[in-house]
Amino acid sequence: MKNFFSNLGYFLKEAKTIFRIDFLSNIFSIFSIGLIFFILSMVISGWWLSKEVVEVLQKEAEINIYFEEGLDNIRVNNLLENIKSIKGVREANLVDKEESYKRMEEILEKEARILELFDENPFQPFIEVKIDISEVDGILEDLEPLENIDYIRDNKDIIDKLEKIITILTIVGILVITATGISTLVVISHIIRQGIYNNRDQINTLKLLGAPDSFIGFPFLLEGLFLTVVGGILAFGLIFFTFRLGYKQIGTSLLFIPLPSMEGLVKAMAIFILILSGALGIIGSFFGLSSAKGN
Amino acid sequence: MIEARDVSLVYGDGTEALKDVNLKIDKGDIVYITGHSGSGKTSLLKLFMGIEYPTKGQLKVLDLDIKKEEENNIRKMRRLIGPVFQEFKLIRGRTALENVMLGLRFLNLPHRKIKEESIIALEKVGLGHKRDSLVEHLSFGETQRVAIARAVVRKPAIILADEPTGNLDLDNALNIMELLTSFRDEDTAVIITTHATHLLEDIDEGKFIRVNQGQVTVESRGEA
Repeated sequence: MKNFFSNLGYFLKEAKTIFRIDFLSNIFSIFSIGLIFFILSMVISGWWLSKEVVEVLQKEAEINIYFEEGLDNIRVNNLLENIKSIKGVREANLVDKEESYKRMEEILEKEARILELFDENPFQPFIEVKIDISEVDGILEDLEPLENIDYIRDNKDIIDKLEKIITILTIVGILVITATGISTLVVISHIIRQGIYNNRDQINTLKLLGAPDSFIGFPFLLEGLFLTVVGGILAFGLIFFTFRLGYKQIGTSLLFIPLPSMEGLVKAMAIFILILSGALGIIGSFFGLSSAKGN
Repeated sequence: MIEARDVSLVYGDGTEALKDVNLKIDKGDIVYITGHSGSGKTSLLKLFMGIEYPTKGQLKVLDLDIKKEEENNIRKMRRLIGPVFQEFKLIRGRTALENVMLGLRFLNLPHRKIKEESIIALEKVGLGHKRDSLVEHLSFGETQRVAIARAVVRKPAIILADEPTGNLDLDNALNIMELLTSFRDEDTAVIITTHATHLLEDIDEGKFIRVNQGQVTVESRGEA
């Protein structure tokens, strides 16, 4: 360990020299690694954003329960309490006739004038039930025996589609992330291996002088770490600009999509890329070194 | 220091490089290995360095059996040898001093000591003033001296020089021989291979190993 610290300056200088000798090739490597990280980060961000959006939509999943006309307040409240006690129901609220009318006015906006054609409020009061999407079947079963229910608008088709999207997104996300992660590792270890190959004469000389493998390999490990970390920083820069542009576009044209905050996403991605680039740099270098040693 | 008993070396392609070699090199010996190109001189040095393993017989270098199973120990054993390679094997892009320092880097010495010893070694070979020059900017003879400085800086038990006089005129060749033998002391053996036998005619002390078609004969002159 003492030997390691006394040679730290040498290792850094060697890593710098190795980088300088294959300067152009290393610059291209940084760009390649940066682009790979950028693609990987975009895939992960896209997957994460979709999950966030789906989660928000999941929280909004609801069914509407219409009760028999002329039901007195006591029975309506009893029905409401019964619904609240069902497993999977997160919230249940009574929406009276006036509230129904007001909501429709908000939905119709300028077209709301059409409502003025009615002499009386045409809407029915109903119970709005926010649910846990995975419990929808059980909730519908539990609602069946309850009295005084006239009609249930369960939005089952939409909810089922939403569940399918979540499953597909999860599977595709894991597959793409795994594939991109493995490609990143393979490319990085190949780049490191190439660097070792370019310096094979130096490595052979060191072996003949009796240098241990750790001494020979450490500058290459440092170089690998440097390439991946700089590549990671480059990828982060690209991601930052892409997010800024993307959020601006979505923010102005697709207002209804509930996106998580950009700052949070950028921060998470910065930490993710930094850790990933460091880890892949070390792992890739070890792979490169051990495969070069085998040859 | 080095003891070979019935050592043979046959390469993978069937070439028989060395046949039943028996020799002994002791501390403080000065050894000249001669023979024509392709006679087996370099093969003998490769065995001493543990780059090749005997295919028959037993070879001990610094009390270590040279065989595949000892690969890790052979790497450590090389730290006690100061090699001067035929093609020098200096590292381009580094200065003369950096190349010499490389010989000491992994020997658990403090950085200051490594630098001091390397400067002294460069001064001994007459290149103190060129220590900050990149090796690719040095002349052939200077490059060779840097290689010698890298070999001797670690105060090795054995200095192994493979054809150090090749491509040199007579005066320079004699100077290099003189320089190399000057590092011999009671603890350090110096082994030099050369195909230029005329350089050895006036030498009256040392062991002379003649390699001919893989077979070795040993002759001693003077105190050796």
